[in-house]
Amino acid sequence: MRTAQKRTGRAPKVAVAAAALILPATLTACGGAAASGTESPNTLTVQDYLDPSRDPLYQACAKEVGVTLVISHVAGPGLIRKVLQQSSSRTLPDVLMLDNPDVQQIAESGALSPLSDYGIRGEGMLPAVVKAGTYAGKLYGLAPAVNTLSIFYNKEMFRAAGITTPPKTWDDLRANAKRLTTQDRYGFAMSTINTYEGTWQFLPFMWGNGGTEQDITTEETVQAVQFLVDLQNDGSMSKSSLIWSQDDVIDQFIAGKAAMVVNGPWQIPALQEQRDVQWGAFTIPTRLPTQTTVAPLGGEVYTVPRTADRAKMAKAGRFVQCLVSPEQQLQTAKVAQNVPTTPAVAEQAGRSNPALAPFVTTVQNARSRTALLGPDWPKAATKIYNAVQLALTGKAAPAEALRLAQGD
Amino acid sequence: MTSANLSLPAAAGGRRKIARMRLLRRATPWLFCLPAIVFVAMFFGYPIVQNVVMGFQEYTTSTFYSGEAPWVGLSNYATILSSYLFTTTLVNTALFTVGSIVFQFVIGLALALFFKRNFPLSGFLRSLLLLPWLLPLIASSAVWKWLLDQESGALNQFLGLFGVPAVPWLVDPTLALIGVIGVNIWLGIPFNVAILYSGLQAVPKLLYEAGSLDGAVGWKAFRHITWPNIRPVVSVVIVLGVVYTLKVVDIILGLTGGGPANSTQTLATDAYNASFVEFNFGEGAAISNILIVVSLVFALVYLYISRREPNE
Amino acid sequence: MNNSSTVRRLPMTVLGVFFLAVMIFPVYWMVNSSLQDSSGATTRDFFPINATLTGYAKAISEQGQNFVTSLLIALGTVLLTLVIATPAAYGLSRFRSRGLNVFLLVLLITQMVPAIVIANALYPLFNNLFLLNNIFGLILANTAAGIPFAVLLIRAFMGSIPRALVEAAMVDGAGALRAFVSIVVPISRNAIVTAALFTFLSAWSDFLFALTLTSTPEVRPITLGIYDYISANTQDWSAVMATAVLASIPAALLLIFAQRYIAAGAVSGAVK
Repeated sequence: MRTAQKRTGRAPKVAVAAAALILPATLTACGGAAASGTESPNTLTVQDYLDPSRDPLYQACAKEVGVTLVISHVAGPGLIRKVLQQSSSRTLPDVLMLDNPDVQQIAESGALSPLSDYGIRGEGMLPAVVKAGTYAGKLYGLAPAVNTLSIFYNKEMFRAAGITTPPKTWDDLRANAKRLTTQDRYGFAMSTINTYEGTWQFLPFMWGNGGTEQDITTEETVQAVQFLVDLQNDGSMSKSSLIWSQDDVIDQFIAGKAAMVVNGPWQIPALQEQRDVQWGAFTIPTRLPTQTTVAPLGGEVYTVPRTADRAKMAKAGRFVQCLVSPEQQLQTAKVAQNVPTTPAVAEQAGRSNPALAPFVTTVQNARSRTALLGPDWPKAATKIYNAVQLALTGKAAPAEALRLAQGD
Repeated sequence: MTSANLSLPAAAGGRRKIARMRLLRRATPWLFCLPAIVFVAMFFGYPIVQNVVMGFQEYTTSTFYSGEAPWVGLSNYATILSSYLFTTTLVNTALFTVGSIVFQFVIGLALALFFKRNFPLSGFLRSLLLLPWLLPLIASSAVWKWLLDQESGALNQFLGLFGVPAVPWLVDPTLALIGVIGVNIWLGIPFNVAILYSGLQAVPKLLYEAGSLDGAVGWKAFRHITWPNIRPVVSVVIVLGVVYTLKVVDIILGLTGGGPANSTQTLATDAYNASFVEFNFGEGAAISNILIVVSLVFALVYLYISRREPNE
Repeated sequence: MNNSSTVRRLPMTVLGVFFLAVMIFPVYWMVNSSLQDSSGATTRDFFPINATLTGYAKAISEQGQNFVTSLLIALGTVLLTLVIATPAAYGLSRFRSRGLNVFLLVLLITQMVPAIVIANALYPLFNNLFLLNNIFGLILANTAAGIPFAVLLIRAFMGSIPRALVEAAMVDGAGALRAFVSIVVPISRNAIVTAALFTFLSAWSDFLFALTLTSTPEVRPITLGIYDYISANTQDWSAVMATAVLASIPAALLLIFAQRYIAAGAVSGAVK
């Protein structure tokens, strides 16, 4: 009697547990293109993390290609996660914008289609831009406009301190920063935050001196880290740079609390809007006067994911081709305050917008972050910002910090 | 005789009825729990199993499209345990959890006891105490970042009134951990106050009246009447508190992102970083599995305690 | 309560206000920021001397629908969670068996799993069930997340219900279900209201499920709506804070309302 009850008691429990585990597993596995494919064949889905100010650019190309658009703007950090989910459920959009260092990983997964399928080869564009969008020899994404880093400076503060020419070397920069530091402000500010943004801001110093991400323990990189530590020890750079994002840094600049800041052209609209600071920009100094400034390449590329619909993919290809055409480059540069990727167009943009000029120059020599390491870049980026933070917090000397961060 | 003849089939039917009733009684608790069991199994079973399996795989961005996740056995765990950051992360997790829970609970209990007394506006004030808990985390973390700012933050300006120099709250590695723990305590107090207060209210007033006749008032009343009666509620609050604190990611990421120099990196934030910043999901899953095991130890403690509870 | 005792207790009120002030100073700062211009974090004053309502204007005009969405999701979650969790709490508190203890342990384990693991696993599941971008889908997800906590909380309170009470009802002929509904539930009102409160607040402030399981503006809870104002290049903090303040109001009202129900003690009356 009791055994019979026990058996009937246990079986339903096991059955419920098994069913409850297997059911969601099967539901997850089967299905697939459940959510997509509901738009008409003449509608393309476009996905990015930008704001609606880009929509007119998209619509202009939509008109040219003869399609209607469904535009989806995803909040910045969530884009890649969304892309991954869409990859696994095969619901990728027809046109996908990616931050340029992410192209390698997504292309590696097989989710993107080569742009050569649509006759796009990136002729006339900056080699670094083409390289950024290339994986395993095939081009997957192109950017209409890119950006990089330079230094914004407060003209009045420079005048008051008697500085007439922008610094050209690290020593000049260090001396100027010291002179410009007073009770109420720092001479120099940048972001050394523990995210890829901090790495991005450090790269001009590392690469300008000849450092490489393949081995961050080389002397050149050590010198770059030491330079930042020196600036901080001089009192010219706030310790808060460890927690400042690039936006926080510009806030400091606009509030008059920093005389020189490392930042990018996308801040120009905010700078033009405010009235408190008279500003200019110059290229980031190098350690020796013989070196050239090598800053990282920023900006977003457009790709054509692999979906089941070849006809749509072809249309998407034409759409992307339109987006990176010279006219569109100029328009994008105006809206986004970036630098067009075809050098001739870039020059034109620089002439009509003098504030952009230092960035135009720097972009010509800019380097893509994934050029050497491809999909393995994120790991190296993490090591770099960890090392910089270790050194700036005083937990380790620069050489030791880089060694620790590099690991094995 | 007739009754014996009649009773035989009746007894057989009766035995079946008793058997059915006994089955029903055995099944009753399960029937009460059934909807919950189904929900939990469906929504938690699959993710947990998937997470355990992922810890043994090399799961990267490619896997999402291609579906291939090569089995790598314990290699993810080996990488984590041998990293120079593992000890730091573990220590930070322990400090963060213990620091948060101790203060949250003590302050929460103190406030709950304080507000139990009826004074004008006590109900209103008590309900407003829960405000920190219902602010969107993005707003709270932004506000705290401003308040703790070294140069222009309100806290430093307040301390400046007493001549204290600007404290680098979120910038100095040691202070950053303290700052983050402080904000977490602030976030956790409402949770503790609300539950402990309910628990205090459930203690029958009779007991206090009877106790006061015997001279048990104030601290004695607390030790001999209040504390034993709120024990079940206290254990829920503490164990759940530990489990939830171990999982905390949002506030740490919002304030410091795990820095500076990994001084506020806990197991939970490390798992998040591994998965969603470096897209190394296998490693992220492994770290979160380690986290779940740590929580499990506490849960076992809870079960043991609750089994020994007096059931009056 | 006579006048003198009220007056004698006024110092306690003052103390209470002081504690509250310290605890909710950041909330004050949030309101303060919502009334000031959104330029840089460094230029915020202690008092909103030049108060501006632009943040609120924006929030009200743009977030209205999101507000309603959040409300529907939160209320639906509370309903569904209580209906499922209360019986389960009773089942676990009254009866003891090895299987039930395992279930209890499982409930605890579910609380240890980082929410992001759950959200990511739910995406493909919901995708196939057409539950994405769907209010009901979010209700289901939030309910599933809320059940374990509600069960554990209510169970802790139900443990103090004397068996005698329920058995008396069953002797009178009521089935287990009827005894549950007519005796146990009313007695556990305290616990149920507390659990409802927490469930509502959790669902109301849920961000993760909303982020993972929706992508269209039609179904966008207010927690996601806030992110409209924090894009890559522009951060409109006054609008963010204004939205946050507005989003806190229903929850605050609920709190004040519900506290009254938690006030009375539960079991003591019933024993008599």
